[in-house]
Amino acid sequence: METSAQIDPITFSVLLNRLNSIATEMTVALANTASSALLALTHDFSCCVYDARGRQVAMKDALPIHTNSMHLFIERIVSRYVGDVREGDVIACNDPYSGNTHIGDLATAAPVFHEGELLFWTAVRAHQLDVGAPVPTSGWAAAQDVWQEGLIIPPVKLYEGGKARRDVIELYLANVRWPAMLEGDLMAQLGATRIGAQKLQALAERYGAGTLREFCEEAIEYAARRASAEIRAMPDGVYESEAWYDFGSDGQPTTIRCTLTIHDDTISVDFSGSDPQLQAGVNASYAVMQAAGGIPVMMAIDSDIPHNEGCLRRVGVSAPAGTVCNASYPVATSLATVLPADVMQEAVTKALAQAVPERVPAGNAHWSNVPMISGVDPADGGFWGHQPLNGGGGGGAAQGTDGWPLISTNAAWGALHVGSVEHTEMLYPLRVEQWELEPESMGLGQWIGGPGVRFVIRPFHDVDVIYASDGLINPPCGLFGGSPGAGGGSYVVRGEAGRRQFFGPEAYARIRAGELWVGISSGGGGYGDPLQRSPERVREDVLDGLYSAETAHLFFGVVFAGAKLELDRVATEEARRRLAACREPLSLSLPTRPSASGWLERTMQPGDEQVDVPPGRGL
Amino acid sequence: MSYRVGVDIGGTFTDLVVTREDGSTLLWKEETTPDRPERAVQTGLERVAELLEHDLGSFLSNVTLLVHGSTVATNMVVQRSGSTVGLVCTRGFRDILYFRDGFKWDRFNPRLPRPDDLVPRRRRVAVAERTSAHGSVLQPLDEGSVRRAAATLKQEGVDAVAVALLWAHANPAHEQGVRELLRQELPGVPVLLSSEVLPELGEWVRSSATVLSAFVYAGSRDYLEQLQQWLSTRGLRTGLLVMQVNGGCASVEQTLRVPVSTIHSGPAAAPAAALQVGKRAAARDMITIDMGGTSFDVCLIGDGEVPRSRTIEIQHQPIGIPGVEIHSIGAGGGSLAWIDTGGALRVGPQSAGARPGPAAYGQGGERPTVTDANVVLGYLSPDAFLGGRRQLRSDLAADAIRQHVAEPLGVELVAAAAGMIRVINQNMVDAIGVVSVERGIDPRPFLLVAGGGAGALHAGRLAAELGITRVLVPAEAGTLSAFGMTVSNVRHDYAAAHHATSLDPQREAVNALLGKLERRARVDLVQNGFSAVDVVVQRFVDARYVGQVHELTVPVPPGPLGREELDAIVGAFHRLHEERYGWSAQDRGVEYLHWRVTGTGLIRTPVEPLIDELAPTPADAAATGSRPAWFDELGGFVETATYAADRFAAGGEVHGPALVDGATMTIVVFPGQRLLADGRGSFLLETPTP
Repeated sequence: METSAQIDPITFSVLLNRLNSIATEMTVALANTASSALLALTHDFSCCVYDARGRQVAMKDALPIHTNSMHLFIERIVSRYVGDVREGDVIACNDPYSGNTHIGDLATAAPVFHEGELLFWTAVRAHQLDVGAPVPTSGWAAAQDVWQEGLIIPPVKLYEGGKARRDVIELYLANVRWPAMLEGDLMAQLGATRIGAQKLQALAERYGAGTLREFCEEAIEYAARRASAEIRAMPDGVYESEAWYDFGSDGQPTTIRCTLTIHDDTISVDFSGSDPQLQAGVNASYAVMQAAGGIPVMMAIDSDIPHNEGCLRRVGVSAPAGTVCNASYPVATSLATVLPADVMQEAVTKALAQAVPERVPAGNAHWSNVPMISGVDPADGGFWGHQPLNGGGGGGAAQGTDGWPLISTNAAWGALHVGSVEHTEMLYPLRVEQWELEPESMGLGQWIGGPGVRFVIRPFHDVDVIYASDGLINPPCGLFGGSPGAGGGSYVVRGEAGRRQFFGPEAYARIRAGELWVGISSGGGGYGDPLQRSPERVREDVLDGLYSAETAHLFFGVVFAGAKLELDRVATEEARRRLAACREPLSLSLPTRPSASGWLERTMQPGDEQVDVPPGRGL
Repeated sequence: MSYRVGVDIGGTFTDLVVTREDGSTLLWKEETTPDRPERAVQTGLERVAELLEHDLGSFLSNVTLLVHGSTVATNMVVQRSGSTVGLVCTRGFRDILYFRDGFKWDRFNPRLPRPDDLVPRRRRVAVAERTSAHGSVLQPLDEGSVRRAAATLKQEGVDAVAVALLWAHANPAHEQGVRELLRQELPGVPVLLSSEVLPELGEWVRSSATVLSAFVYAGSRDYLEQLQQWLSTRGLRTGLLVMQVNGGCASVEQTLRVPVSTIHSGPAAAPAAALQVGKRAAARDMITIDMGGTSFDVCLIGDGEVPRSRTIEIQHQPIGIPGVEIHSIGAGGGSLAWIDTGGALRVGPQSAGARPGPAAYGQGGERPTVTDANVVLGYLSPDAFLGGRRQLRSDLAADAIRQHVAEPLGVELVAAAAGMIRVINQNMVDAIGVVSVERGIDPRPFLLVAGGGAGALHAGRLAAELGITRVLVPAEAGTLSAFGMTVSNVRHDYAAAHHATSLDPQREAVNALLGKLERRARVDLVQNGFSAVDVVVQRFVDARYVGQVHELTVPVPPGPLGREELDAIVGAFHRLHEERYGWSAQDRGVEYLHWRVTGTGLIRTPVEPLIDELAPTPADAAATGSRPAWFDELGGFVETATYAADRFAAGGEVHGPALVDGATMTIVVFPGQRLLADGRGSFLLETPTP
């Protein structure tokens, strides 16, 4: 490796580890002290270190949607507070039109000085359970504009010169539900932001500002070099794709278009041609667009490469303003990190798969089956709210690997933890009736997608459920002959008669005591030719109840004999030969048309009813 | 003459330590016999008996305590060679084992395979029943569904059953009912209940602990009972004790109630060893490191308290029960150096293992290891390694480093070797940081106890990096865990879930519950042969602020809980929260989840003389000459005095730079450091305060 005069390769390796361990220390401090399950258990937050110019140099890889875009918020405050940043300041922001992802993410940053000189920024982005929207949720599909999404916080100082600005903090807490819990979360987040700053100061005292500045340059150059080498090995070309979004207008899904260009050692991702922005909280902010375009590329390169500025900037992302992929002020974006970021990532995945098939997994399930539940507990009159993540959908299969369950969203790719049933039942007045994988929900292929989940709850008293989902009507794609996930949906079982009321991608429903909320998420897409899956594995899948013997026959060409489902090898060979002969050529990706899941049509029976909430129209 | 014996099975060696009444020890390393681990144990015991001039029978009849650290359970999990387990769960919740906690650790790797569930879905069977969060029965156990489940398990060829029903820790009746029916339907098949293995909130971890227990039960039982039988027919008069992950030991019968408790139990004995050897330096604040061929284990002991963790895992599978908190990373003498695709030098976590081992071993290893770097820099002597039992090839070490590190980086051989040591040292410093600095604990006043074959080579530098001024290299460094087993107390942990708060403390219920657990603790310890004076019972509770998510375990005062005792619990919680996280909320209510009782049977340990109090004398008698060794602060290679570890008299003193070669380890004394010997094989290495 070329070395500079200032920093030897050994010191470089030592500092690379140390900066990462500082981001880890910030993460541990936040998780252990937070009050909400969202932060303490689910870990919906990320911690990073930036250089004085706002370039990412180290991060704890928590949520990719956070870490791939946080530099934008740092850049904004660097320019906003030129000459007005002091040691001991902490600046907060949740404004999606000031470089933030969406209003639910509160970002905080602290400058780090050494001998009067600004060296670093530490930053934390953490999801807040409430933001003071008209309804108790931090992501409201029905919001018509930014003012309906909650309290907007442009970059403001929460700490000034080491002193907390209680007035500002109280203004914030006065505007959110559950202020005690959210204050606990805020203290935990500010603590983590400041702990990172202290550790970096200690590092500067030991190594000096010159070495650390040089290190930042080297670290960025190092990651750029490694990412460049990986991209250079990909075939140059222009790859186009299309994906469809469950939200839309006039009953039609929204189309996302992606053009991915690989040229030498850079990739550009452009969402031109995507549909116009929607009158709902389901559009992408600029930061979300940047992250959603870049993450699938990060997934396709060596996971050991640090995701710092040098690596992230190998990918350029663009989208015309005013589209669903890049909303214009004051259009609402409160669900942006998942809706539409999940489908945007799926579009990029489909394009990238054409260039490097072996490195790209089939589609992950999109954000779905995650209801925000709230109500007043008659036992103590307390207002409670909870968003269980247990129902999230499955991950896409990849070459050599079946998909994981509960990958839930492309924002996290499996980073979110789910709470236990017992924890949920202890804390909230509801009972979980079922939490199991959903048979036949996964995409099939040589490798099968992770299954979707059936999650059924019964509240003890009347509650409200606020809900938004994607990828159930337009299921996550299968690749190279793999089939897509099966889609899914949700319904309430009403009253004593058990009438089933089905919802679309958006719901705001009152559920009476004793009624059931049933949600089914989609499995991830399958990967590769189903006829290549080993018959033994297919048999195990059937014995495990992942899918039926009939599916095994129809899709995999695997035939069993007798009650014990012994493999009939001769019949299997014959069935596989027949299937191979009569089928159409394997598709690069499936489905090839919008609204392909058919889940609702398959599932609804006479007597069931559908509640038609016009997409984006809320109540 | 009476003896205590510790036997610790490791990957390469089975370590035996015999402690005599006067505290003197005999250390023996027997090559591990992986297929029949008891063979190395038996041969090792025969060898130490011989060395003590006994026949096996008379030796064993003089053994008053025999503690065994068994890797049988750990290996069964690693090799997936345990029982064919069936899991009985509540209807509607068949996939708890599969869902885990939803977390994917390496999420930037889309091709990462899922860990294999120990019980595939076809052997996870549901029964109709439901208990509420308060332990009341919402739906009675349906007998027919259990019999149908049993039929399925029988058909699947299941030979051990785990039963983990929702809320079984709040009311175990349904699990007990399932066991009764399974006894009829599947006679002879062991059945383990989650309400007995881990009676705690959280179905995923409770199921995992129960399934792991069922998986290792039969193998552990066969191994331990046969070994016990072998020992008693050959003269052992006391019961075999088994090392536990909680840092104590328990009888075979007690172990088999919670078989998962022996997983990762070997390293858990190190803190007991540290508490004993720490007496030689009058220390109660210690950081123990154990650096062997492939791994580096760290444990921080504050004020004599061994830290415990409730999140210990084996192959991503939580064991659930609280154990000694050991932080482990892939760093050892065998750790390989490599250059990543961006040109950065990396060391570990991959290791050259025992075969081919470091290049210097001349066994065909071509890639450079930490041991090779230590050879090139002169810290390890080609002739005096392991007391001369193994010759090291410095030419092969140099070739490997030159080819794989120096040339790709464009630096000199020595700079490359020194770089490898710096990188591995930084990894170890970070690992020590994880248990200290990251928890807000300043490591500087701690005594660093250097264990493992490679610990003393690096400890001086690690201490200097961390600002630690004192390092103890105990005589038992090479067999630290086995020694720990001879000085471990017998310990049993019990827990029961009962929800209460500071506003509604439910005194009577909690007093009754604690009383019951305490009685169990005393009965178990009496069975282990302890008299009342040697029994200590302590109580704890998992507490948190109302609405908070993570708990802290705080002590509960002895005796019936009255107002004063309850206030003491709340006060202790606020203090601990403040200490751990930097803030507390005195006006917030506190809630209680699990009540815990620990019963300890105290083992009498020998008095240790203090090294500090010895009058320093020159160590000329131990001098063996010199060899060139590399010290950055001295500008490169300097001719460095060498000494033989076994020739130091009490008080023998050496100033750095110096190298001390021993039979199981080499100590590097860096410039400015001072080494003091106790004449019994232990050394204190001191760095002057900067």
